[in-house]
Amino acid sequence: MPDSTTPANYLLEVEDLKVSFATRGGVIKAVDGLSMKVGYKEVVGIVGESGSGKSVSMYSLIGLLREPNVTITGSVRFEGREILGVPDRELRSLRGREIAMVFQDPMTALTPVYTVGWQIAEQIRTHTDLDKHQARERAIELLTEVGIPDPSRRINQFPHEFSGGMRQRVVIAMALSCNPKLLIADEPTTALDVTTQAQILELMKKLQATYDSSIVLITHDMGVISEMADRVVVMYAGRPVEIGDRREVIRTPRHPYTWGLIGAVPRVETKRSRLVTIPGNPVSPLNIPAGCAFAPRCAHRFDKCDERPPLQGEGHLDACWLTSEQKVELRARTEQETLS
Amino acid sequence: MDDVLLRATDIVKNFTIRSAKIGGRVSVPAVAGVSLEVRRGETLGIVGESGCGKSTLARCLVQLMAATSGSVEFNGTTLTGLSRRKLRPFRREMQLVFQDPYASLNPRRRVGDIVAEPLRINRYGDAKKIAARVVEMFEIVGLDPASVNRYPHEFSGGQRQRIGIARALALNPSLVVADEPVSALDVSVQAQVLNLMADLQERLNLTYLFIAHDLGVVRHVSDRVGVMYLGELVELADAETLYNFPLHPYTEALLSVAPELDDGRQQLRERIVLTGDVPDPFHRPSGCPFRPRCPVATEKCAAQKPVLVEISPGRSVACHYPRNLDATPASD
Repeated sequence: MPDSTTPANYLLEVEDLKVSFATRGGVIKAVDGLSMKVGYKEVVGIVGESGSGKSVSMYSLIGLLREPNVTITGSVRFEGREILGVPDRELRSLRGREIAMVFQDPMTALTPVYTVGWQIAEQIRTHTDLDKHQARERAIELLTEVGIPDPSRRINQFPHEFSGGMRQRVVIAMALSCNPKLLIADEPTTALDVTTQAQILELMKKLQATYDSSIVLITHDMGVISEMADRVVVMYAGRPVEIGDRREVIRTPRHPYTWGLIGAVPRVETKRSRLVTIPGNPVSPLNIPAGCAFAPRCAHRFDKCDERPPLQGEGHLDACWLTSEQKVELRARTEQETLS
Repeated sequence: MDDVLLRATDIVKNFTIRSAKIGGRVSVPAVAGVSLEVRRGETLGIVGESGCGKSTLARCLVQLMAATSGSVEFNGTTLTGLSRRKLRPFRREMQLVFQDPYASLNPRRRVGDIVAEPLRINRYGDAKKIAARVVEMFEIVGLDPASVNRYPHEFSGGQRQRIGIARALALNPSLVVADEPVSALDVSVQAQVLNLMADLQERLNLTYLFIAHDLGVVRHVSDRVGVMYLGELVELADAETLYNFPLHPYTEALLSVAPELDDGRQQLRERIVLTGDVPDPFHRPSGCPFRPRCPVATEKCAAQKPVLVEISPGRSVACHYPRNLDATPASD
């Protein structure tokens, strides 16, 4: 991880990003003040439950949210260059070439009416000078690279002729076709079985090493984060509540929401007598509390929580009013209660 | 002997596929000969990847679907072949909780009516008695009884799953078959529902058949676990033994790749990443169904199909070359 703070040391810098949707029911603050950095060759995981704003934040920064009722403010710098609010024409050369995306459902990311080879070649020809024939050759190379057997035959097949895992490999091949600096992967393995998920994660790790890309991995699964990410951003109700090195966040989480998130996962390796639960339901984005968004569900809230806590700390940041000593003590106590 | 609530013997379920490509109808086995017992008061977990036949098996067990062959015995009575009318008293003993709490509740009916429906069908009592039971059920699953007149869309995913559980438990069944009951829920809500199910099991003396693809969830809830692959039960053992000393190479690989939190408390397993996909049941390999992806398969596995045998008390496996045989499970 780069330790200097000069802008050029980060591939992506997001500062105070806010995304809101004007709806009939009121203004929905989907992302409310996200600041994060992604270094070169770094894998940053964004974890949170449904509606925490993890996908919306990434969609907004590459200009995928263009509905008239969306308001996006803040600053997003890619290699030091501001990309928020630039005309779509300029963004288009960035999207697909410098920043690529892998979506959750590989069936909807591919069009069913063209062959897989056509779709990959289209992407290559849009962003490079290769001719039709060369693009096809490159598509075959890419399919080989993502581990699709018999690529010269498979390239003429349609998406429905591929299994879920194979389709996700095709989508990854497309994303990598222009050697992007940043890959945004939105729940890339959620729709897949465990053994297939393992194959895809392994593939992403291998390709990240060969292509030197940075990855932003959006997921709800702490286990996937634990295997893939260098750093973790934990989001709740559109706000980052904890950011830090993957090991530190998983081993010594500081925010009570992260404690709950980690404790609620049933484990394969150890049996707990009881799972930690976070009482209540995620807050409605229509009325996020003025203070700490997690306070209504937090067992350790106190008067101070009526005021919104800033994200603070060095390296390992968190947004909670408890003192460091309190956090260590309370965390140890909740752990004791649930271990069998 | 008496502690077996449900016994299934050699269940086979074939689906007929019509396709011009293959020139006519072909019968494809979704469940290819599964035998198991569910003991009174236990939770039997069934894990497997999509398409392994776990849901089809569950449906055959509770007679929602007629098995092609094989028999199901519930509380000593053979259910297979019974007429619909004769089956009815058994249906109230076996209830289902479904995966998708959005699809399994009728959006046009009030949630109180949804929970009351099984009571009405089974003539539980007069309107007053039924209403009282609905309120009781809402309290049992942790919902506000004042919300009986609301519609499903007014509830969150976790609350809807509680409604589904209330409906399943309204008739006081002895067996609850839960098919992926928490896979559509966020982790924090998932934990609430799992804890609720554990509480209810203790309080109401329930037996669970719990079907899921999430290995962590299955370990958490189950006393015994069965692993399915391509329509067959390849391993069955008590949960602790199976997770610590898997016998079947498929179980071993499956456990090794489950994403696990590296919190420094335990050693992580060495990952065994399998190649290829689960074969479709249309092209079943000869011999052992796992053979084409198995790291230890030999010619014997292609020639001779391994059957599920009990190799030590409570541990069964269908494999010619079981792993971790020497490892003895700790007695605690």
